[in-house]
Amino acid sequence: MIQVERLSKRYGSIKAVDRLTFAVGRGEIVGLLGPNGAGKTTTMRMLTTFLPPTSGRAVLSGHDVLDESLEVRRKVGYLPENVPLYHEMRVREYLTFRAKLKDVPRPRRRAEIARVIARCQLGEVEDRILGQLSKGYRQRVGLAEAMVRDPDILILDEPTAGLDPLQIREVRALIRELGDRHTILLSTHVMTEVEAVCGRVIIIAQGRIALDDRLDRLQAENAIAVEARGPAEAIRAVLEKVPGTEKVILTGRDGDHAAFKVQARGGADLREELATRLFQNGWPVRRLDLKRTTLEDRFIQAVAQEELAADAEAA
Amino acid sequence: MRHIPALFRRELAAYFLGPMAFLILLAFQIIAFLNFWELVDLLSRPQRSLSALTDPMNSYISGSTPFWVAMLVAIPALTMRLVAEERRSGTIETLLTVPVTEAEVVVAKWLAGLVMYLVLLLPFAIYLPFLYHQARFHFDLGPVISLGIGLTTAGMMFVSIGLFFSATTRNQIVAAIWTFAILFLLVVLTLLVYYYAAERQAGWAEAARFVAVLFQMQSFAAGQLDLRVLTLHLSVTAFMLYLTVKVLQLQRSRE
Repeated sequence: MIQVERLSKRYGSIKAVDRLTFAVGRGEIVGLLGPNGAGKTTTMRMLTTFLPPTSGRAVLSGHDVLDESLEVRRKVGYLPENVPLYHEMRVREYLTFRAKLKDVPRPRRRAEIARVIARCQLGEVEDRILGQLSKGYRQRVGLAEAMVRDPDILILDEPTAGLDPLQIREVRALIRELGDRHTILLSTHVMTEVEAVCGRVIIIAQGRIALDDRLDRLQAENAIAVEARGPAEAIRAVLEKVPGTEKVILTGRDGDHAAFKVQARGGADLREELATRLFQNGWPVRRLDLKRTTLEDRFIQAVAQEELAADAEAA
Repeated sequence: MRHIPALFRRELAAYFLGPMAFLILLAFQIIAFLNFWELVDLLSRPQRSLSALTDPMNSYISGSTPFWVAMLVAIPALTMRLVAEERRSGTIETLLTVPVTEAEVVVAKWLAGLVMYLVLLLPFAIYLPFLYHQARFHFDLGPVISLGIGLTTAGMMFVSIGLFFSATTRNQIVAAIWTFAILFLLVVLTLLVYYYAAERQAGWAEAARFVAVLFQMQSFAAGQLDLRVLTLHLSVTAFMLYLTVKVLQLQRSRE
């Protein structure tokens, strides 16, 4: 659905986005994660044809953003950051205006607007003036607007910014629901959001992709920390024989104690089996701990690496 | 071009959902009232001002200082928000990411500005039937029509200039000042330049006279429908609209 190849954007000497390459398939919900100024918004603006890329190409739904920008705009629903709206218009009036611009045929217009209003629960404010709505409602109007004409691809720039926890939950549920039929690319700097909504995460730092992986694969990187008293090599041999272990790494020695990191296949929790084996061999256990790789760890790790690389390149 | 009606209606509605249009309209109504008062006064003393009798439209509209001062202020005030406001609030991003071309946006905004400009002239038109029927002053219709045409094409030009400057900035005040400066040049400075040139009998005096909007309107009000002037107005309009489209396309890359 979305194919991006070496997409770059420069502002003078500043590289805002630097050779991004990724692809998003139909029905995927991908979270674009990154610190402020990493190039998330610039990337989204290029994908929605608002900004032309300096180099590289992006193809959405089979259409190139530069050569067939009108076609791309027909296939994409876009929620810009901060949700710009015409503050003097009323909700229904605004949605009608946008439906006309998006070429929703007249006979279908009413039904289409009723659908997005219902979907985003805007029924009780549909005759209110946009400028007087709360941030949460404005966000929902923006989301409803993006859904008009049921585009293949939804590009949402920080869709839950400024919402209260209850609304965040509703919007996330809505996005997950939309994921069955739409391809969704959303940006955020809230880790839990990616974990709650997305199937895949792309971390951007310094305009480059620092990490691009499925969330369940990331979770598979869980490891078990073990510390026991006994001969290190013997313990290691026993641990390796436990079914399901993939790798046992000796991480340190502390007097009679030896510390290991055990990686299990598929990130399975092998703590009980490991404890049983150690106990059978008579080695007292001091620590047995499942360490989850949180997205946050990976985020900080990836961003730090990218910054180091950028510094090295600059030097 | 099928999106123009929707864009145009929103743009026109935006004028009337704020106080600006009504304030300007009120100001024009007052000026029209005062000018009409003056005109009636002049016409009732025919022996002292013959020119008002032969050329009533000039003393009523195109030769009136308050009218031009109001125009010079009103046009920048009306056109400054057209694009600059969208740029400031960020709605330009939503506008340029739907299947709408820059040309459609520009033409729709220009049409809305033009309609607003024509609405400003309405107060002047209201009084004319009274003069004709009530006061039984049977003025020629020709000059009224030719002045109407001239003011319309001049308005097309003025609004396209204002729209262009509105597209170059996100600051409405900057847009208004630029528009005012150019209109001032077209309306007032050309006049001074002409007098300067005419005094020295310079050959280009005629050129200055041709582009001076005030002279153009005075000859329209006298009933001379000069096609060269209409062509000038329309070409400037087309050129400014073209430039505005280009500015929008260019600024996409610089947002």
